[in-house]
Amino acid sequence: MAKFNVINTPIHNVDGIAKVTGRAEYTFDVSLPQMLYGKILRSPHPHAKIIIIDTTRAKALTGVKAVVTGQDTLGVKQGIWRRYKELCDEEILAKEKVRYIGEPVAAVAAVDEDTAEEAMDLIEVEYEPLPAVFEPLEAIKEGAPLLHENAERNINVTRHIEWGDVDEAFKQADYVREDWFRCSSQAHVCMETHCAVSSFSPDGKLTVWTSTQSHYYIKVLLSDVLGLKENDIRVISRYTGGGFGSKFELDSAQFCSAVLSMKLCKPVKIVLTREEEFMATKRRTPMFYYLRSGVKKDGTFLAKECRVFTEGGAYTAMGATALYLTGFFQSFPYVWPSYRYDGYRVYTSTPPTSAMRGFGAPQATFCAEMQIELIAKELGIDRIEIRRKNAMYAGYEVPGQATIQSCGLVECLDRVEEWIKDRGKMPPYSGIGIAAYGFMSGGIFNWFDTPYAFSSAVIQVNIDGKVDLFIGSQDMGQGSNTTMSMICAEELGVRVEDIRLHMGDTDKCPVDLGAWGSRETLMQGNAVKMAAADAKRQILEYAAAKMSPNIVYDMDIKDRWIHLIARPERGLSYFDAVKEAIRGKDGQPIVARGHYTPHRKGMISPAYSFGVQAVEAAVDPETGKVRLKNCVTAHDCGQVINPLGVQGQLEGAIAMAAGYGFTEDLPMDDGKILNPNLVDYKILRTTEMPETTVMEVETYEPEGPFGAKEAGEGLTNPTAGALGNAVFQATGVSIKDLPITSEKVLSAIRAKKTKK
Amino acid sequence: MIRDFIYIKANTLEEALDSIDRHKEDYKIICGGQSLLILMRQGLVAPEYLIDIKNVKELDYIRYDKKDGLRIGATTTHRAIESSLLVKEKYPALIDMEKNLASLQTRNWGTIGGNLCHGDPAGDPGPLFMALNGSVKIASKQKTRTLPLDEFFIDYFETALKEGELLCEIHLPPIPLRTAVAYEKFNIVKNDQGIVSVAASISLETDGLTSKDARIVLGAAAPAPMRAFETEKLLIGKTLSSGLLEKAGERASEEADPVPDVHASEEYRRHLVSTLTKKMVKKAWEDAKVQVK
Amino acid sequence: MEKFLLRITVNDEYHELYIKPKKLLVEVLRDELGLTGTKRGCNTGACHACTIFLNGKTVKSCSVLAMQADGAEVRTVEGLAEGAELSPIQRSFLDHGAYQCGFCTSGMLLSATALLAENPTPTVEEIKEGLHGNLCRCTGYNSIIRAVKAVAEGKYKGGGNGEI
Repeated sequence: MAKFNVINTPIHNVDGIAKVTGRAEYTFDVSLPQMLYGKILRSPHPHAKIIIIDTTRAKALTGVKAVVTGQDTLGVKQGIWRRYKELCDEEILAKEKVRYIGEPVAAVAAVDEDTAEEAMDLIEVEYEPLPAVFEPLEAIKEGAPLLHENAERNINVTRHIEWGDVDEAFKQADYVREDWFRCSSQAHVCMETHCAVSSFSPDGKLTVWTSTQSHYYIKVLLSDVLGLKENDIRVISRYTGGGFGSKFELDSAQFCSAVLSMKLCKPVKIVLTREEEFMATKRRTPMFYYLRSGVKKDGTFLAKECRVFTEGGAYTAMGATALYLTGFFQSFPYVWPSYRYDGYRVYTSTPPTSAMRGFGAPQATFCAEMQIELIAKELGIDRIEIRRKNAMYAGYEVPGQATIQSCGLVECLDRVEEWIKDRGKMPPYSGIGIAAYGFMSGGIFNWFDTPYAFSSAVIQVNIDGKVDLFIGSQDMGQGSNTTMSMICAEELGVRVEDIRLHMGDTDKCPVDLGAWGSRETLMQGNAVKMAAADAKRQILEYAAAKMSPNIVYDMDIKDRWIHLIARPERGLSYFDAVKEAIRGKDGQPIVARGHYTPHRKGMISPAYSFGVQAVEAAVDPETGKVRLKNCVTAHDCGQVINPLGVQGQLEGAIAMAAGYGFTEDLPMDDGKILNPNLVDYKILRTTEMPETTVMEVETYEPEGPFGAKEAGEGLTNPTAGALGNAVFQATGVSIKDLPITSEKVLSAIRAKKTKK
Repeated sequence: MIRDFIYIKANTLEEALDSIDRHKEDYKIICGGQSLLILMRQGLVAPEYLIDIKNVKELDYIRYDKKDGLRIGATTTHRAIESSLLVKEKYPALIDMEKNLASLQTRNWGTIGGNLCHGDPAGDPGPLFMALNGSVKIASKQKTRTLPLDEFFIDYFETALKEGELLCEIHLPPIPLRTAVAYEKFNIVKNDQGIVSVAASISLETDGLTSKDARIVLGAAAPAPMRAFETEKLLIGKTLSSGLLEKAGERASEEADPVPDVHASEEYRRHLVSTLTKKMVKKAWEDAKVQVK
Repeated sequence: MEKFLLRITVNDEYHELYIKPKKLLVEVLRDELGLTGTKRGCNTGACHACTIFLNGKTVKSCSVLAMQADGAEVRTVEGLAEGAELSPIQRSFLDHGAYQCGFCTSGMLLSATALLAENPTPTVEEIKEGLHGNLCRCTGYNSIIRAVKAVAEGKYKGGGNGEI
């Protein structure tokens, strides 16, 4: 008999019909009566004082209804690390100073987009350009131009993680190597750009439709900056066209449309152009990485020292988290008896760097896995063997940081090893590279300073058996709507089609922190499971009263059938029971609640996923061009809830992470992004995607609902490293500077030939 | 944003030429618009008059004559060329070139005439047509003239079209005996514009071994698609050898005048010119040899 | 600025509209006719999210002047199903989870429909080429390719709007 009725079955995504028929309404599609269109004027300077902004001519243009600048706002410096006021450093509409090319300085609302655009040309801004600095290693020098008064030497945040005695351990090492890496930036490239429709009404209430990963965060942040009460603000986000980490902070479309709408009491819609999306939204944190590792000659890991400088860009954003996580995941997924990490996030006059799928871990994994490959080569140890020897295991405690409760890493290594063996000998200039990873299932740290449980859920069971499930989580494509429906259905004992989901509306839904850090399955899932368990308990209470079984019997509901577990043929229909239960409760529907907040779960996360990925690539020695042929991933996400979802997440992660590995980059010239469009910024198309294979390694995670852990973000960790190692296997060159372009590969191959 | 314009829809060639003549101070012609509309949306191009020739059916044709060669009307879509059995039989290199050009959606609406007039040195048809010794027919209200494609491309996005003129037709002469042509571009994402591209045409003597003629055209390696004349010279009157290919590649990379950008440095572009030249010369030569047999 | 009469049949419905000639086809479909299923994702004709059928051929509706569709027949994602009956490719997308955020999905469905109409039994390579223009950031494409392959293998017969 199958373990579950609903969990781990290939059901249709609950939003499927809406999405395949064009019915799904995204913020991009929202249109309201009397709606105005907004545009944002942005700084052309990377660092400058704003002397004066003259909006007279713009205001006078026919069709323009309002023009606002920082002077029209409360000037609140906001940030997502709300608990730490000194890290709340971004006004969004700059008042006195601009710190990156693209920073908003004014916004216009007009009767149509064209008029708004014309008005922008009529806004006169006088700047006093200031010296700027673009590289973190330059910005940290004495005498470098200061971007923020309170940040000496432009140091925004520092982080330190340490255990064991690293210096002593290095002395014991038979082999020590040090390497420097450069991890590039990356753009999220959500298909739906950042957008918002704000509508303020005379009763003092603000409604904002927006493309977001966390309507709760946006509501609170808007409250911080607009001076409105949190719950006089309603944020609606039923469908979000991609997030990947770019959409849980307050953005310029949301803020400027709200400010304009509050002035006019009319709806204002702002949709960022693709160019604005590249230039002026947050991006992956570029990092300069130093790694020094000491091992025994049999490959046992002894000591690792890591120093990282990250390019912070103009503001803190989520960069502080990326700084910590990169240092934390640098030690993953291995047992390092001693470890020391020092991270420095440095302000630079570039667009702020923040969170992008993986959150510092893809960078860490790239560097770690490339170095381990080199260590294995130098010591003549099999690359799977060296990883297996040092792999984390269930029960391992990362000293002072985390307890690993479930871990299928070794089995993942075994499965990939088997696949590589089956592949056989590679032709010349082809190679298989591998990388192993571990990742968090949501974070424990309350930097947002919420007083609420991290996730909550409310269930209402109605007379016809239909279940209203109210959740705060956000589906941005990763499938949380389906996952939560499945968890609810499984726990309650009904089918997914019995669930009527309510999400994406802060007026109607309980609080959930949002879709980031791969937290929804574990955290919202636990809250849903708890609520469903309570609803079930109430129904079973009634059913037990009706059936009066012997006290020794337990009851359960499975697939709409309430029954004695020991005698499943004895029972009654869920539908009948619900009807009568409600009558018995004075006609009140059955209501249940659930919530989840991690307590005492270490420094990072309640649970960790693991995996190993192998990338087979062919390199053209004439041009250095890399072609991906195969990508095989063995991964442990505990119990798979939504198998179609997991496979989709894996394949999408591969495409994104492979892009990070070899085709995507955000080159800049004096703070200006040089390729802010989809022609020059190259994401993978169908023709570059390799064949992908997923191998599930099932474990049971006690912290997760039904044993589940994350499966969406961790999968972006290994691909760049696996790709880099594939190139290394194919050509003998190890490119430590992302992205691994054909030009770099060719240069390295030629340099190697010359050396010979 | 697109600025307002006065829209004129031409249904015949005569109407088109007439409108162009009347508004020759400030007009733009739109056909497929796959390149033009992007420029207009970014405000880079803002004509007072926009003359739409999409509906000029008399310029939509593909004709072949044994003696005369291939004639393609300027408003013929890329897709029509790609799907043409005639072209497949007589000029198969065009099919490959079209299949690798942009996307299906772009090819369904974009036209060959529009592509050439856009004058992008990274465009695919230009170098291949030049290697095929192609010419264009240009008309104005007053007269018609023909121009070898070698003289059509002047500079970045600048062609020899004068005010009041309209590109009507592309003419590719019959491929001479014992001649084959090959074209390839280098890109990372398939169908993207080439970082560089090379078209090579090799004609052999009756002995089937010695080269009689060579046309080497470099794309995206200079302000306009360019003939690598010196490379051609060193290829003529020779037999194929790896030494010859090395020399040709080297010469072509020296003749090229590539501009570095975010995608590739100058050095890498020159290297790619060399690699592709060798590859295309070899392919064309070997294909021509097969013909001789 | 003179407005022009645009006569256009969209999803079998005939419309007459007066529009500025600079209007793009995608703007007419979304803003004038309220058919917001077709999306826009970029400004350089690169993403193909706006793909629709124009006289039976797929085009980027952001790169076609609406006036060039005068007298034409257009089909958008809203016109693929016939009432409650989804087309084969729509049903296959549901079964294969061939979408995630859904923003590129309309364009993908149109491209897939076009591919299968012209070549009912494409190979994986041909599917990749047929869908090549359409960018997707979520799925990594392989689920979409599987969905198209399943239709090509005859697993979904009939239903929806056969007239493209």
